[in-house]
Amino acid sequence: MAEVYLNHLTKRFGKNVVAVNDLNLQVHDREFLVLLGPSGCGKTTTMRMIAGLEEVTEGTIFLGDREITDLPPRKRNVSMVFQNYAVWPHMTVYDNIAYPLRLKKMSKQEIDKIVKDVAEMTSIGELLDRYPTQLSGGQQQRVAVTRAIAVYPEVFLMDEPLSNLDAKLRVAMRTELKAIHAKTEATTIFVTHDQSEAMSVADRIVIMREGEIEQMGTPEEVYDNSANMFVADFIGTPPTNFFDGEIRRANGTLHVVNPRFDMALSPENAALLQAYGKRDLVIGVRPENILLVDEADALLSTDVLVVEPQGSHQVISFEFANKIVKIVAPTHPPVSAGDRIHIDFNQRSLHFFDPQTTQAIDRPESG
Amino acid sequence: MTSKSINKAARKTIFYLFVTTLLVGILLPVYFLVTLSFLSTREAYQFPLPMTPALKTDLKLGYGERGYLLSVWERSEDDYATVLDTNDLDKMRVYIQSILGTKITDEELAEQIARLESSGEEEVFFTQPRNLLYNYETFFRVTRDAVPALMRSIQIALITIVISLVIGGMAGYAFARYLFRGRDALKFSVLFVRMFPGVAIAIPMVLILANMGLYDQPMGLALIYSVGSIGLTVWITASIFLGIPVSMEEAAQVFGATKLQSFVRITLPLAFPGLAAAAMYAFLGAWNETVAAIILTQFNPTFSVVVYQTLLGATGQVNLAAAGGIAMAVPAVFFTFFIRKYINQMWGGMRV
Repeated sequence: MAEVYLNHLTKRFGKNVVAVNDLNLQVHDREFLVLLGPSGCGKTTTMRMIAGLEEVTEGTIFLGDREITDLPPRKRNVSMVFQNYAVWPHMTVYDNIAYPLRLKKMSKQEIDKIVKDVAEMTSIGELLDRYPTQLSGGQQQRVAVTRAIAVYPEVFLMDEPLSNLDAKLRVAMRTELKAIHAKTEATTIFVTHDQSEAMSVADRIVIMREGEIEQMGTPEEVYDNSANMFVADFIGTPPTNFFDGEIRRANGTLHVVNPRFDMALSPENAALLQAYGKRDLVIGVRPENILLVDEADALLSTDVLVVEPQGSHQVISFEFANKIVKIVAPTHPPVSAGDRIHIDFNQRSLHFFDPQTTQAIDRPESG
Repeated sequence: MTSKSINKAARKTIFYLFVTTLLVGILLPVYFLVTLSFLSTREAYQFPLPMTPALKTDLKLGYGERGYLLSVWERSEDDYATVLDTNDLDKMRVYIQSILGTKITDEELAEQIARLESSGEEEVFFTQPRNLLYNYETFFRVTRDAVPALMRSIQIALITIVISLVIGGMAGYAFARYLFRGRDALKFSVLFVRMFPGVAIAIPMVLILANMGLYDQPMGLALIYSVGSIGLTVWITASIFLGIPVSMEEAAQVFGATKLQSFVRITLPLAFPGLAAAAMYAFLGAWNETVAAIILTQFNPTFSVVVYQTLLGATGQVNLAAAGGIAMAVPAVFFTFFIRKYINQMWGGMRV
């Protein structure tokens, strides 16, 4: 097991296309790190550079204290699970797992023992004699994971391994991947565009956009302290609701004023915004932090547009300044489309952003 | 019966009529050729042509003006027809053997003659088995070097397969895996060489091969055939390699294989059905080609040239030519059936 260091990593395709731009990242030993971002953000390219499948334009990659920047893939001691599994269809499951070990010139007995052990761990023991075409998508996925575990790599790379599975299986497999990670304790880098997948498996999430890192942190950090509007919007389902406003001072307290509401800030939030020099700001409110209240306490009242029941909770939508705002609310009291609702924000979980830089105001770099 | 079910029955009838017509259209010439190759020369020139070769020959022996009178049972006439009047037993035996394609020895013939003379009857009847392979035996015996030509044809076909698979396969891999300037134009242009009919470029071909010292050589013909089949091989293999995800090779490389190992152990086995299909086309192209072979050989013809020659001139006999044609078709059919097993993997057993 090892740490991975990416130093000033840059990848350009041709002259003009920059896929990854000056990326600096340290992956800790035994960490489950997720590279998360929309398609085209450079997350897969970053992973392929670590695997050695993509040439590095600039920068270096270290595995522990060993530089692997220009090594061919086979000399890096990493293993990978591919999006389309890439199990070899002309080999049995056993041979799929054994072939990498044979390439390492292990003895037959050793190979046999390892194959049976890892197949046990991922519960594909009874499939070893089958060919991949005889397996379901989920089973092929397991074979790909098993093959990757069997070589005892220093680093485990997973390139959107769950995106080809159906929704239910995907959720089941991510639990399993996390369990397998707990057992093998291999440093794992996992690429995905699915933020809920990232949240559920990651020790740490790296959110990327256009070849650069937008934010790194634990799932709680990126959710509760999104560094900018992009992250706040990208993380969470439904995404963060944004409200434009401006700061006004009245009766000795700070208010955020919008054509449809006037919110007196709590002392903590007021203290945070004291240092903020500009007038305009954006408030980011997570759907669960918009509360349904009595009319007397309401910040604003509005008509419900749509209600989406989810069983455990319901998602209530209303229109605000030509945008749809979504609230996650308990199923009780029941609400239906057209009802008048009265809402307030949970002041302890508000996010404030600078509309010019889109950065969070509570961050030192924007303050 | 409702009009709907009548309609359905009518459509079904038309469909089956169509299929049957099609099948008859395809199979009848083949049937005709196969039958013809087994007919005796006498049968082959009869009208109407027998549907099947006779399995035995009914003969009648009597006395004629010049000696013995030989008659043979004519199926179409339902009667005996007199074919020979001679006292030369050798001539009679040769006639029975070659023109009637029937097995008979000197002793058997002498025995029948003795039977005629001792019985005191006007005539005796006897039946001899047919030699169904007579045409084939004759074809390989009398045709100028049919066997060496067959060997040369096999040799040429195999060399063509090797050259076009190696060069065409590598080109196909490059077309499938790498992006380079002019890729599409180049991929299209490999088919251009197939535009030119062999006859049209006969003189340059002869000159070039003569300069290389390969005129009238199997190697020279194999080179010419390879030029044509490489184009097709490139297209077949390129589409096959395209169908094999790059991640299969990448996985092998991540898991410890060199680039060459990942190609040989992963890509090549997966591409095998396509390579087999390309090999089949290369084989059939080289095996069946006649025009260039006529132009580019002189003393070392290929089998197709030999078969072609049996059709020509006064010696040409349709049943002999048919036997040659069948002899030429059989290896191609066998090769196709053999390779079909591997091509079938493309659609059946194994999907990439």
